[in-house]
Amino acid sequence: MGHYLPIVALAVLAVLFAGLSFLASRLLAPRRPTPQKSAPYESGIIPGKEPPRRFPVRFSLVAMIFIVFDIEVVFLYPWAMVHAELGLFGIVAIAIFSASVFESFLYLLSKGVLEWGPIQRVQRPHLVGAHRTAESTIRRVGLEGRDRPAEQRILVESGIASHAVEPAASAAGGH
Amino acid sequence: MGDPLYAGGIGLTVVLVTLLKVLVTFVLLLVATMFMVWFERKIVADMQHRIGPNRAGPWGLLQTLADGTKLFFKEDLLPDRADRIVFRLAPVLAVVPAFLAFAIVPIGGNFAEGGTVSMFGRETFLQLADPPVGVLFFLAMSGIGVYGVMLAGWSSGSKYPLLGGVRATAQIVSYEAALGLSLASVILVNGTLSTHQIVAEQAGAGFGGIIPNWNLVVTGVVPAIIFLIAGTAELNRPPFDLVEAEQELVGGFNTEYSSIRFALFFLAEFMNTVTMSALVVTLFLGGPSGPVWGPEPVRTWFFPIFWFLLKLVVFLFVFVWFRGTLPRLRYDQLMDLGWKALIPLALGWFLLLGAVRVARNEGWNLVVTFGAITVVVVVAVTLLNLSLRAAQRQRLADAEVNA
Amino acid sequence: MEFVVFLIAGAIVVGGAIGVLAFANPVHAALSLVATLFGVAVLFVAQNAQFLAAVQVIVYAGAIVVLFLFVIMLLGVDRSDDLRVEPIVGQRPLALLAGVGVLAASLVAVLSAGGSTATRTVRSTAVAIPTEEPDVTSLGRLLFTDHVLALEITAILLTVAVVGAVVLARRPGRDEPSVEADVEAEA
Repeated sequence: MGHYLPIVALAVLAVLFAGLSFLASRLLAPRRPTPQKSAPYESGIIPGKEPPRRFPVRFSLVAMIFIVFDIEVVFLYPWAMVHAELGLFGIVAIAIFSASVFESFLYLLSKGVLEWGPIQRVQRPHLVGAHRTAESTIRRVGLEGRDRPAEQRILVESGIASHAVEPAASAAGGH
Repeated sequence: MGDPLYAGGIGLTVVLVTLLKVLVTFVLLLVATMFMVWFERKIVADMQHRIGPNRAGPWGLLQTLADGTKLFFKEDLLPDRADRIVFRLAPVLAVVPAFLAFAIVPIGGNFAEGGTVSMFGRETFLQLADPPVGVLFFLAMSGIGVYGVMLAGWSSGSKYPLLGGVRATAQIVSYEAALGLSLASVILVNGTLSTHQIVAEQAGAGFGGIIPNWNLVVTGVVPAIIFLIAGTAELNRPPFDLVEAEQELVGGFNTEYSSIRFALFFLAEFMNTVTMSALVVTLFLGGPSGPVWGPEPVRTWFFPIFWFLLKLVVFLFVFVWFRGTLPRLRYDQLMDLGWKALIPLALGWFLLLGAVRVARNEGWNLVVTFGAITVVVVVAVTLLNLSLRAAQRQRLADAEVNA
Repeated sequence: MEFVVFLIAGAIVVGGAIGVLAFANPVHAALSLVATLFGVAVLFVAQNAQFLAAVQVIVYAGAIVVLFLFVIMLLGVDRSDDLRVEPIVGQRPLALLAGVGVLAASLVAVLSAGGSTATRTVRSTAVAIPTEEPDVTSLGRLLFTDHVLALEITAILLTVAVVGAVVLARRPGRDEPSVEADVEAEA
């Protein structure tokens, strides 16, 4: 019990510290709340929607799995303390225990519970190639409004714009 | 067993010595935290070719004090949608465990001679408390510390703090398992949970009289690295600071906090950094143990504290170095590192260490032992890879169904 | 000393338990549950069961109540239950009956043991535990010899728990939406 006496004393001191800080802040700090100040902070944008009330199951699943692993870790400590006197028997016991832990871990992995990232989709090959250069951003612009034939020719020849777009664009253009 | 101070019952002198130790620890922690904030700002500034704080006091040393004092004079805002009780409680729940966690760290004492110092004629440890379950006390405190972050995020009644708080909790909880597992390796080799005894076990001459008998060497480096990484993640420090990723979450769980309540979160964060460095030093680098010379007070007081502080500053620097060097991880990378790399590795290393130790004790045939271990490791790694591949296939199939 | 600690810890435990029932807000209720668990940990320390006390805080306060809070957040806190509707028919009278039954049983147990003898038995067991050996060592020895079967069954139980959690939480054939997608959708 004596071991915890200083801890209790430190806890009391820490709580006092926090309490006195609050008190000092209350005495020293101004208090002029306005509706703008006490609204939820959204980088200056007026919050139009309620904050989210629900969360993905994923997060609570992590908490749930953590309980299981935490309990398992807690069982490892007693073995760590007495492993020398238990010898082979202890090794076998902890090996069976750990195999069970590992098995549930494998189940979690294979079910993709611990996959958080975006799905790695198969890459679309037509987006990768020699024709795709920094200029290919022009693709989005198309040929509309590009009057000069020379410019159109360059774009079409370099594969950035297609012929299908060209007649309409050129019809709207200079002829 | 335990601090000799409490061996002969609790009298007035014992209470006074205890109170003195408590006060000194308290002040020391605050000063160390202030130092750490300054240290971090200065080092990061240096790494980025800036000057850093240089106005308040010599080399800007008093900058943290100035900033802290300023926060007392700032308006304390209470958001409309906040849960009033929990919003006020959360900073206290963050800062009290941060103070308490340091209590188990031995900061001095000559461990070649029992690790005690003499105070007013009483022998005592130079650490605030030495409960028989010391390292678990630390885990318990970091478990309580989670509430501060989680409740701060929830009680603000605002979007970004909530996201930050839930992210933080999932992260801390994930890495706590890795932290606990790497700790198990230390317990395995030292055969004790008390931090004082863990340091005492590391105090010997070691291998060949040159390499120290530190747990870093005895446990084979891997648990120490896992502990350091998991510790960084547990602290929500860069590169694991997704909790307060400014670009996406404004400021994370403490966005709605201002004035002294914000200061308490800030204090807790840096205090936890100091404690975590101190714990790495205690668990893996022999704490205050090291070569000592000279007459009585120098030998038992000066050198151990000097060694401890030296090692502490090294790890404080490492944490700052991480921040200055490494880019922030993505959330899925963070979860992958914790669950798919650190936890299996820590568990595997713990079992390996246990098997090797038992084999050495019982005098088993080394070839057979290592053969068996190799087979188990190969099977385990294969199974891990197979399950990861199965998960990948499953997700692709699901994606096609949905598309 | 021990009596004072018992009184304080007992007050925390009972106060927390009342709080769990009395608070309308589920988050407040979960927090007062933490207080109860913490009080129990202090009681463990008073009985020199230090490892148990640490585990109590690490597992219950550090993991299980965190899960409770996650689930509360998952469901949304503001969704208050309508107390007039009884979700399971006949549940409330049965709960009342069971509560009274448990109270009666514990009262009988305490009264039949008698105040003075109960104290003496508790003291004698406390002395019987060797104090020079940490309780985690004796616990480990018992757990990995006499009760090794129970330990392995616990491991299997935990595996079942993992499988159950995953099966319940994931609907088959549906891709999980990305982490924050539905939070954003909600917001």
